[in-house]
Amino acid sequence: MVGAGPAALTASIYTTREDIETLLFERGAIGGLAAVTDKVDNYPGFPDGIEGLTLADNLHKQAERFGAVIELGEVTGITDEGEYKRLETTSGEMLAKAVLIATGCDYKKIGVRGEADYYAHGVHYCATCDGAFYRDKRLVVIGGGNSAFQESIFLTRFASHIDILVRSRVRASDVLQEEMKKYIKQNKVTIHTNVTIDEIVGVNGSVDKVLTTNSSSGEKKEFKTDGVFVFVGLMPNSQFLAGSDVALDDMGFVKTGEHMQTSMPGVFAAGDIRSGSTMQIASAVGEGSTAALIIREYLDGKLMPKSESSREVKAPQ
Amino acid sequence: MVKSITIFTTNTCAYCAMVKKYLDIKNHTYEVVNLDEHPERQAEALSLSGALTVPVTVVTKHDDSQEVIVGYNLAQLAPAIA
Repeated sequence: MVGAGPAALTASIYTTREDIETLLFERGAIGGLAAVTDKVDNYPGFPDGIEGLTLADNLHKQAERFGAVIELGEVTGITDEGEYKRLETTSGEMLAKAVLIATGCDYKKIGVRGEADYYAHGVHYCATCDGAFYRDKRLVVIGGGNSAFQESIFLTRFASHIDILVRSRVRASDVLQEEMKKYIKQNKVTIHTNVTIDEIVGVNGSVDKVLTTNSSSGEKKEFKTDGVFVFVGLMPNSQFLAGSDVALDDMGFVKTGEHMQTSMPGVFAAGDIRSGSTMQIASAVGEGSTAALIIREYLDGKLMPKSESSREVKAPQ
Repeated sequence: MVKSITIFTTNTCAYCAMVKKYLDIKNHTYEVVNLDEHPERQAEALSLSGALTVPVTVVTKHDDSQEVIVGYNLAQLAPAIA
């Protein structure tokens, strides 16, 4: 399995319980984006929510309990050799009878001047990692979706004030917007909409301000800040599939048929990397378990049920 | 040869957990400085790493030279502890 986020960890619980030897490769944090999320309130079974790192840790322990092996490293290529798939990895070449691609996404960068220059010197993408450095400091959060709002709420533990800069309108869920009202009332958070980021400017090697333009009035505005946290969306981790026979859509997500199979026989995809995914932990977990059951059928040599919209997956004879 | 390893971490940092896991797999012992519990040591982490981020891993060799790895970076960490 390429990746060890919620989709792959769930899939591995199923495959290992069926005595299918399962190896997962993870180049980042086990648990994926869930592990770096402050709090998860919409994953079922946790009425008071659960810390992302705790959920990730629980999934990890459960997968290893049944025998999943997690290798800390990276898969850099996959080729089809019929009965086996050959994987190039940082631990050498490996053969597998089936592969699950579950590499998920990483946070996007804005792509403005100053962003790369000040990375880790005032520009950050992980609030749970770096928020603690900003006790009693001013912060800017860029983004208007669920991640921007959830992580801003986390950052209120440290920051004296947070300006949230939203490109157009707020898209965060109603629940998060409602929770944010408390911090707005306390003057801990101010939300600014129709804000285009022009540049991140520093002084003496540290971030000092963010230059912006209001997209409806054209007005220029500076936001003085000690740090910037960026949550502007997700990009798929599919660079290792470039040039392979695993088909991607226009945005780089892995295309799958009805039964999670990709265009390479014996290779399946689940979770945020999958084209059409709903980008939720609960969905990733569901897709991971579905993919595992389909992989079991595939390895048992059983044909997939035919349907007009699905490709038939033939197991090797 | 490695004389000592110190990792600067925070409670909520997933990448810090990954550095610890990697060092555990490689059977290395290490000191953990939790910056949530010891915010007074943030300046030390910043001056060692030049960055406002964790994890910061400081590998001290037997000749007292130090290598500082910022973030969860196996390409740098692996040779530093070899």
